[in-house]
Amino acid sequence: MNVVEKILARASGRETVEPGEIVIADVDRDIFHDLSAHITSTVYEEQVDAPIIDPDRLAFVFDHTFSPPTEHAADILEHNRDFATKHDIKVFDSGNGNIHHTVVRNGLVEPGMVVVGSDSHTPVHGVLGTFATGIGNDSHAGLVWPYGKTWFPVPKTVKVELTGTPPLGTTARDVALMLTADIGEGGANSLALEFAGEFVDGLSFWDRWLLTLIAVDVGAQSTYVEPDDTTTTFCESAGIDTSRLVTNDEDVVYDDVWRYDVSDLEPQVACPPTVGNVKPVSEVAGTEVDFAEIGGHGGGRFEDVEALAEIIPDRGLDESLLLNLVPSSRAVFEEALEAGYVEALFAAGGTWYPPSTGSNQAVNMGAMTANQTMISNHARNFPGRNGSPEASMYLASALTIAATATTGRITDPREVIDG
Amino acid sequence: MSEDVTRHHGRAWTFGDNVPTDSITPTEYVMEPMETRLQHVLEDRNPDFPSKVEPGDIVVAGQHFGQSSGRAVAPKTLKATGIGCVVAESFARTFYRNGFEIGLPVLSCPGVLDLVSDGDIVSVGLASGVVSNETTGESLEGDPVDPFLLKMIEAGGLIAFAKRGIPGLEN
Repeated sequence: MNVVEKILARASGRETVEPGEIVIADVDRDIFHDLSAHITSTVYEEQVDAPIIDPDRLAFVFDHTFSPPTEHAADILEHNRDFATKHDIKVFDSGNGNIHHTVVRNGLVEPGMVVVGSDSHTPVHGVLGTFATGIGNDSHAGLVWPYGKTWFPVPKTVKVELTGTPPLGTTARDVALMLTADIGEGGANSLALEFAGEFVDGLSFWDRWLLTLIAVDVGAQSTYVEPDDTTTTFCESAGIDTSRLVTNDEDVVYDDVWRYDVSDLEPQVACPPTVGNVKPVSEVAGTEVDFAEIGGHGGGRFEDVEALAEIIPDRGLDESLLLNLVPSSRAVFEEALEAGYVEALFAAGGTWYPPSTGSNQAVNMGAMTANQTMISNHARNFPGRNGSPEASMYLASALTIAATATTGRITDPREVIDG
Repeated sequence: MSEDVTRHHGRAWTFGDNVPTDSITPTEYVMEPMETRLQHVLEDRNPDFPSKVEPGDIVVAGQHFGQSSGRAVAPKTLKATGIGCVVAESFARTFYRNGFEIGLPVLSCPGVLDLVSDGDIVSVGLASGVVSNETTGESLEGDPVDPFLLKMIEAGGLIAFAKRGIPGLEN
């Protein structure tokens, strides 16, 4: 069995599981942001009359709203706080950071766990060698909370084998964008994807994160990296228990193997209106941009702040562009402070926003008018998420965002790192 | 329940590929009450849909229907329009799962957009996976729904199903 099969077998109390069967499995961690906590707790209050068992498995992270702009938004947060107090659920209140970064930075996700969340990017936690997937409100409220379990189809597993060393200017995010386009939106429907190969072996923990983040956009149920020294070293540094860590059996058989050589990959940009509309940066260079932002599920890592800090202060921020800096956690902001990057990017004209999920959706920030354009390293660019459905959202690496922020037009990062 | 919730018959509304939950429930309205969400459901794909959709109608769509948010707000809003079911070339996994959990039947049927045009009358059998276009007389076999999910739909959704008792749920 592979990592996912072993975890599902353990969690369903069985010796083995087979792809295609539906199992009822224990859930080890169940995570919510402010919007999903509100929706799920409302479903629970209206339709479920059994107590929440083991509420210490749950965590609420208020990341979409870092400071309520309306009474309605304030009501939602207060409802969540009251519900959490009543049911003894851990809350990371506004200002703590993005849901996924916050739970990992606080040691709540361990290798070998079954992790579920209402947020569709929950599969990102497969980076720690978990079985992690997004499930709906009713699954949480009706099964996970009162019974501690839910149902899962055991997925077929495809190995995505990545080899080669990308050229200067091409990052793990560019590889992730290429994969989203090449596998295609829904192209891995209901599968588990294992990311492997020498390229993945050589990536840092936080760069691997950008690969497992694409699960939902290619339709995968879950994604994972088989735990290795990089995983356990990260766990040690973050105080994460590894007693349930599992690896693949030697004789594991994949449903398929998809091979990619990233040696010649150019920097990539996902263009409106979908995450799969990906083009080499050279094809969209010159497009005028009003906002540049790092933040969200994929952005706002220390590495992203660093990429901007190494380019923008030296070259200067374009005067017509607004630069939004959204740390993914308080830890990232602290690390950026210590490195001097907070001051450097502030002095260059950037605006720091609270640790949150930023303009991932225009809940607390990030609405645009019809003719406005943003480039970001968020995970999504669908119309309707950021103000006018006519507004444009481009997704790229922090390096491409940094280069773009210095010119006000989408800019090939190789122009600023070669020169 | 006398009505067979695994069989549906109605007027088709067709949509293209990659319709995200952000089109079903735009962010601007996603936390608003149901009556507000119903006024804007799929309006960016077809401005007539919110006002003209009728109970029993069937949504027919392309690849990866319902991608984006994993919250069940979008399928609940579509269900509240009164439509009988959604048939698509393929679904986002989260939407497929949520559909059954909240009592909105969905059927995956590759090729269905070639079979059905907007306004055609279609019938859908979830257990067989067969979609028939009664306007043209043609039919197509999609992916039959798993028996576990048929039972969930017959119960009216996951919460009602759990209350009836799912094997393996209670230790």
